[in-house]
Amino acid sequence: MTAEPPSVVDDGLYERLAQFASTRRADAGPSDPSLRAEAELVLYHEARLLDDRHYRTWLDRFTDDCIYWIPLDLEGDPRQQVSFFLDDRRRMGDRIGLLETGWMHAQNPPSRTCRVVSNVEAWPLENGDTLVRCTVVTWEYRRDQLTPFVSRNDYELAAMGDEWRIRKKIVGLVDSVGDVRKFAFIL
Amino acid sequence: MTDLSALVEPHRVHRSIYVEPDIFAKEMEKIFGGTWVYLAHESQVAEPNDFLTVRLGHRPVILTRDADGQLHGLLNRCAHRAATVCNEECGSAKNFQCSYHGWTYSNRGDLVNVPFADGYPVDFDKSDYGLSQLPSIGTYRGLIFGTLNPDPSSLLDWLGPAAPLIDEFVDRSPTGRIELRNRQRMIYRGNWKLAWDNAGDGMHPTFAHRSFVLHNENQHGGERSLSQFKSNPDDTGMYGEDLGNGHMFVDQRPGLTGSFWETQRPVPGHEWYADRIESEYGDSSADVLEMAPGSMVNLSIFPNLLIKGNHLETIDPISVDETRLCTWVATAEGAPDEVNVMRMRIAEDFPSLGNPDDLELFERCQEGLGVSEVEWVDMSKGLGHPSEQVSAEGVRRGPVTHEGPMRGYIRAWLELMEADTKRVVVDSESVKREVAG
Repeated sequence: MTAEPPSVVDDGLYERLAQFASTRRADAGPSDPSLRAEAELVLYHEARLLDDRHYRTWLDRFTDDCIYWIPLDLEGDPRQQVSFFLDDRRRMGDRIGLLETGWMHAQNPPSRTCRVVSNVEAWPLENGDTLVRCTVVTWEYRRDQLTPFVSRNDYELAAMGDEWRIRKKIVGLVDSVGDVRKFAFIL
Repeated sequence: MTDLSALVEPHRVHRSIYVEPDIFAKEMEKIFGGTWVYLAHESQVAEPNDFLTVRLGHRPVILTRDADGQLHGLLNRCAHRAATVCNEECGSAKNFQCSYHGWTYSNRGDLVNVPFADGYPVDFDKSDYGLSQLPSIGTYRGLIFGTLNPDPSSLLDWLGPAAPLIDEFVDRSPTGRIELRNRQRMIYRGNWKLAWDNAGDGMHPTFAHRSFVLHNENQHGGERSLSQFKSNPDDTGMYGEDLGNGHMFVDQRPGLTGSFWETQRPVPGHEWYADRIESEYGDSSADVLEMAPGSMVNLSIFPNLLIKGNHLETIDPISVDETRLCTWVATAEGAPDEVNVMRMRIAEDFPSLGNPDDLELFERCQEGLGVSEVEWVDMSKGLGHPSEQVSAEGVRRGPVTHEGPMRGYIRAWLELMEADTKRVVVDSESVKREVAG
């Protein structure tokens, strides 16, 4: 059992997420090559941690005030709309905790996954964080089925000393409003 | 066709009802064509000229509200060459023009224009070529139902003892009305009745949702979400009911050791929103907070509507071994915004953490049902047990782990499957056409 910080979700945070969602498709122009190179290392590391199911180490890569959000409506306001989930750090810990009980049938046997991260772009944000956009194809193999989960992901990365932490991870599934197969692994 | 009555015994059902394509085809006629089927909620077609595309079993339907406020269930199938004429999920439209050859229909289903009209036979009459529509539409407390049965029992009779339970669900809102928000669709590889069995099954949470029960106890302590299932649930007073006509009810409320809010596991925004409600509503804040968590009941309206938590979920059969679940979250009209924001996060909680295990088990059942040499599926728990009681209205109640609700819906299923129900489509005001088979 690991204690996670209480929820940081409040109206101000929702306001920023709604703003973020509504500008998701705005053209941010060409990205910054050196930021992009750093961001790629962060994303590849994250993908590897998840593919190897090092979930606690993965969670350590996030800030205490992080958000991990898989919306249904990619441009909607999460106060008005339900998502696959919108997690703070505490519920991310719950998601991992359930897996760690060993009784999550939908992950017994566990999924084997392989993430292909591509089209990485990065821009500096006013608060000093870095906005990263990329495309990801996560292939899940489980019980004789190979299933692709295709998404455009958005990240906000925070520089903490000489390390990068993830402050926001938003997974925009291309078929979020369609018929989605269940997923119980961390996407 | 097999003798269907041979497939249902008092304590068990034959595997073929889950795996035989012929039986699935019959269900689409007799069940999803023969009795009231939930289509949508009024908040989804609230204004004149609103429309929503839905399904009646496998049939695509455009549910429209015309300029006079009247609801119509139009089969989404051009009278000309069969293309669907409406290809959006929802919106507002007075007319639907088929993209293929331009035939145009009003939202009442009338064919109002055929381009290049020269050349059709002299007796071609537009009034014979409307969009075929459902003969019967009914509503109860904002829930819209439709059927191809031209002479169904009244919707209120069909709902029977389920009607006051629908009242309880919507009356959790201050105004007595709910509003549906966006929806999620999930697919599983299994027969639609596996989801139906599960909705009346109060024994499975202890085992199927063991990860959820265990984790909450370890991480959050106390009596939190689903803790009422951590040991024998029948010791808690929770019960299940066969409401008749296939409807089922599972009441988890007697198992709670505190209020809905006190036993809700923490979700994102829990502290900030609770503080805000407490400072804003003072003495009545406990009542306000009580509106945020789910209803703690599972009310299932046969054959396709599951009311659970704060959700309305429809079961859309795709084929004998594939099913789509559509889940809409309901907000409480008239409740403070904070309550409905909390409902969004609570509505994601069990569905993303617990429901994958349900779907996993449906798929394992479907795989096991493929064993043709082992023919029967057991539903005997509680049959003839002294704790089963029948009320004056015919509601059969038993401890929550008993399988009475399942036995009840299977009896209703058999009755519908064997009934000589007519199906009718309305082609125009004057033409009502009975469908063969």
